[in-house]
Amino acid sequence: MISRRKALRSGVGLAALASMGAPSILHAQTKTLKITTWGGKWGEVMKATVLPAFEKEFKCTVSADQAFPFLPKLQVSPKNDPIYDVLHTNSNEQWNAVVEGLVMNKITAKEVPNVADVYPYAVSDKIVGVTIFTSAIGLGYRTDKGLAKPTSWKALADPKLAGARGGYLIPVNSLGQAHLMMLGKVYGKGLTDLDAAYKALEALKPIKLVDFTGQMEKMLLSAEVSMGVIHDSGVYRYEGANMQPVDFASPSEGVLALEQVLNVTPGSKVKELAFAYIDYMLRPDVQKLLAEAVWYSPANKKVKLEAKYDAKLLTTPEKVATLIQPDWKWYNARREDIDARVTKILKG
Amino acid sequence: MTNVARPSPIAWLIAPAGLVFVLFFVLPFAVMTAMSFYSGNPVTNPNAFLTTRHYERFIFDTAGIFHEALWSTLRIGLVTTLVSLLIGYPLAHWMARMQSRLGHALVLMAVIAPMLTGIVVRTFAWMTILQDKGVINTTLMQWGLIEKPLPLMYNEFGTIVALVHIYVPFMVLTLTGVIGRIDERLEQAARSLGAGRLRAFVEVTLPLSLPGILAGSLLVFALSISAYVTPSLMGGTDVLTLPMLIAQQVGTSFNPNFAGALGVILLLVSLAIVVAYNRILARLAGGQGMA
Repeated sequence: MISRRKALRSGVGLAALASMGAPSILHAQTKTLKITTWGGKWGEVMKATVLPAFEKEFKCTVSADQAFPFLPKLQVSPKNDPIYDVLHTNSNEQWNAVVEGLVMNKITAKEVPNVADVYPYAVSDKIVGVTIFTSAIGLGYRTDKGLAKPTSWKALADPKLAGARGGYLIPVNSLGQAHLMMLGKVYGKGLTDLDAAYKALEALKPIKLVDFTGQMEKMLLSAEVSMGVIHDSGVYRYEGANMQPVDFASPSEGVLALEQVLNVTPGSKVKELAFAYIDYMLRPDVQKLLAEAVWYSPANKKVKLEAKYDAKLLTTPEKVATLIQPDWKWYNARREDIDARVTKILKG
Repeated sequence: MTNVARPSPIAWLIAPAGLVFVLFFVLPFAVMTAMSFYSGNPVTNPNAFLTTRHYERFIFDTAGIFHEALWSTLRIGLVTTLVSLLIGYPLAHWMARMQSRLGHALVLMAVIAPMLTGIVVRTFAWMTILQDKGVINTTLMQWGLIEKPLPLMYNEFGTIVALVHIYVPFMVLTLTGVIGRIDERLEQAARSLGAGRLRAFVEVTLPLSLPGILAGSLLVFALSISAYVTPSLMGGTDVLTLPMLIAQQVGTSFNPNFAGALGVILLLVSLAIVVAYNRILARLAGGQGMA
């Protein structure tokens, strides 16, 4: 008969033996990097190629959250043990995050060596963190509706487009917010001329509004709108096999920057790994892979894209110079008033 | 020896439901209410202070959109409930009185089938039907019956159509159970005493089915006023509801405190409407409170 003590001793021995090869124990020794990232094609490439390669090289695991919105989740997590180590959002949200001390102010080449190779816009005074890619916000239009290629933002106000123009619910979409500022520049004294922007917005009615860019793509593809505010990536991705009668136009007044920004949370327990991830995302080979997958303009100057991408994306200092970066700090400070005003203007 | 009062077995059975209610409604609601009286998140921000400014912002509504959003939310909820009742009641009555078991099962499947598809998918389906280049407008324009698209979407009409489609099954299923339990012989007795079909229905079946009408209406009303996806996709520029404003405050304005205040206000106003509705129906039924 086996005594109780013997049974316990043999049980402990077996458990110890089993744990020697147990992946869960090994896993506990592996660092985990918690990041946010987009879904769709971007998410597919990240999960299939980019993240596994990073995990292999840095001997870590990456936990990627694709469930937007990210900032409210970061807001309620402890600052000394944040839910994310790296926050990937568009620029305006990073400005909200930095005000609350949820992300770092600047990422420099000291922490992330590849920052030395980025275009100036990627680390300009309009950016918190560092930009890894940008899109150009301009006008998408149907090529089968007899419309001339728009050369100015004013083309959207053409009376022929009444009810067939598309925009965004400004309180919830940064493209809509950037477009509002652009209206101030085109019809008034500059990006901060809200009175001129409100007046110009009123003149765009009737306009179909959506709350995210994917919906705008669908509206353009289904001809529900003939022209709408959209980023170049949302149009160029339908080239080739996906060819659709839509095209993108860069207005002469300039295109607005829709930056993909990475930043590190100050309370991250794996800050070095977080910086390594941003550095990795700025590597030319990773930049090329993602840029060509989703038609984003890479922030790293050293990236050489295939000819068809190079022709359309912002890959030279001259093309990059056409980018206009909104002052999100200024905008966010007035956000409540702007939201109320535009809601009243566009309702009804 | 003293007898220690022991909880009855039914109390143990209710306990899990009570625990779920406390954990997933009472506690979150208490936290939301507490947050609505703070300037920020007191857990992560030591400078957050007690304030009533979020409620003042709503009450004084200098922006001029919050009262309209509340009214719009309630209007959509009430119209959706009414239309769902008008569509659902005859269907539920027919189902409850159906003799064929196979027929009943087939109709029940038809009622439940739409619920097996997600709300987002069903809303997108409505968009393809009602939008300017949708099935209806394209067909009518091709037939030369209209010159420009009918305004079927991007307004309250489209929102209510989609909401009714989504919530009618809740009304039907609630009413079927109640109407099915009404003794048919009561209606037959009324008719044998000289009442016509309509009078027998109005004076016997309808009053007896009021608890079902109340339960179904409250369910549909509660679901409609808290709907977010459908008004967002179908409403365009014309529709702004409180759930949309709450989502904006949390997701893009990053102001959970004001979102909490809006949530509390929506709940209080809805509760007031529910109590009033309950009393009106109770009076109509000649009884006391019904729920």
